[in-house]
Amino acid sequence: MTALAAVPEPRRISGRGLVLAGIALATLGAWLALDAPLSGLVPREGSWRIVRGFFGSALQPALDYEGEVPEGTLPLLASGLAAARRTLVFAVGGMSLALVFGVVLGFLASSSWWAAERRGRSWLGPLVWSSARVLIVGMRSVHELLWAVLFLAACGLNTFGAVVAIAIPYGGTLAKIFSEMLEEAPRDSAKALRELGAGPLQVFLFGQLPRALPDMAAYAFYRFECAVRSSAVLGFFGFPTLGYSIAQAFENLHYAEVWTYLYLLMALVVGIELWSGALRRRFVA
Amino acid sequence: MSLRRTEAAAFRLAAAGVRFDGRAALAGVELEIRPGESLALVGPSGSGKTTLLRLLNAAALPSSGSVEIDGRALNGMPPAALRDLRARIGFVHQDLCLVPNVRVLSNVLAGRLGQQGLAASLRSLLQPPRAEIEEVARVLERVGIGEKLYQRTDSLSGGQRQRVALARALFQEPRALLADEPVSAVDPARARSMVALLAEVSRERGLTLVVSLHDIALAREFFPRLVGLRGGRVVFDRRTGEVTAGELERLYALEGLELADDGAGRSP
Repeated sequence: MTALAAVPEPRRISGRGLVLAGIALATLGAWLALDAPLSGLVPREGSWRIVRGFFGSALQPALDYEGEVPEGTLPLLASGLAAARRTLVFAVGGMSLALVFGVVLGFLASSSWWAAERRGRSWLGPLVWSSARVLIVGMRSVHELLWAVLFLAACGLNTFGAVVAIAIPYGGTLAKIFSEMLEEAPRDSAKALRELGAGPLQVFLFGQLPRALPDMAAYAFYRFECAVRSSAVLGFFGFPTLGYSIAQAFENLHYAEVWTYLYLLMALVVGIELWSGALRRRFVA
Repeated sequence: MSLRRTEAAAFRLAAAGVRFDGRAALAGVELEIRPGESLALVGPSGSGKTTLLRLLNAAALPSSGSVEIDGRALNGMPPAALRDLRARIGFVHQDLCLVPNVRVLSNVLAGRLGQQGLAASLRSLLQPPRAEIEEVARVLERVGIGEKLYQRTDSLSGGQRQRVALARALFQEPRALLADEPVSAVDPARARSMVALLAEVSRERGLTLVVSLHDIALAREFFPRLVGLRGGRVVFDRRTGEVTAGELERLYALEGLELADDGAGRSP
């Protein structure tokens, strides 16, 4: 009988353990540096009234204006619906541009495709995918509200500015996630098409893209929902979306009106959720 | 070999070798296959069958020696010519390599990608011409799944998907058909009918057929010529009736060393 080879002893302190402990310590340090006692969450004396007033109206959203409005103003529900429609339109505008950025840049940044398709020009792939990635990082590291502030300063209260402000960071995020999904999708069908003589773009469009498409579509729907929220918040900067109505009602302490607008916003988000769910059931399951 | 010099061989390998990461996957292979001939590659896992098929498909290039397909040498061939060559060789992969979440029709149509430009292929994706759809339907009919044309590929059984992969290869209108272990994923009865189908369509259309098979009984039943591979080398190449039981036993004999360093099933 031969002796079994010695099983190596597990190391006492593993690299993984050290990393986890480091993350835990850093998190604790961040909370200490925050200097945020729980008592900070308890409203002060006068604020209680506001909190009670605000949440007290939650179950009684306004159906009509709470205060005086100028002659000829649309009824509350009509103007709320119009703001909701504009919120949706801004989001659709931003998202459709973002999808174009996302698909094109996501494709360019997908290094596996370039690695498989390089034909002698080995510098071309790395050049393209690294420039695409730099561009993507630039686009998504600035928040849409900051882009909106920049566009406000540059072009004033311009609808197209708001749409582009959404499209830039959303396009960057979509591109990053799309490129990861394209990289992680199984490559067998792409390989088979390459081996039956398909060209590089055909391999991508017919072999690789369809494998990632269900995930890409699901993620795009989720981002569309986010775009509706972003579009609403752009109203705080004066764009005529739901955020604008919410900010005005809030300033006038018309909490019941605020709730009307909030419910409209929720209805938009729920509507998108239902729509995407229905599509998923139809195409993915 | 009774080859007339006037007729170019479908495949001719001379001292062909392939190395991956310094390891020889195939070495010193001499092989000549006439147009319309059909043969089976047999041998244990990791013996180089898949690599040899990839050479025949122009998907891999020899690191030494030469490979000629239809009289043209692979080495030094420009990419466009390689594409044209690949477009006319059908390959049924071991793991099929279909797109699961599209219709059978789209998977079969993809067989022509190598013969189309980008614009034409996009058009046939979005709105395939009536004539092409009918052609796909006929191919599917021939492989026994005519009614599956508009079904999603991942709703089909393993055996049916295999036939989709074969239909895609046939839709290429190839000169040669290659199949890598076309029976590994199905039960013995379906395995036999798949191999029978490969042999039948190849005979009908006069295609050169090269199939790698684990199953010696199937190889003996359907192929007039057997090529035995072991450790990346051809150990025999003769008419099926002349292959002896001893040769087959030696071909599959296990060696302790091989188990320790098993390159089984690697498909680079």
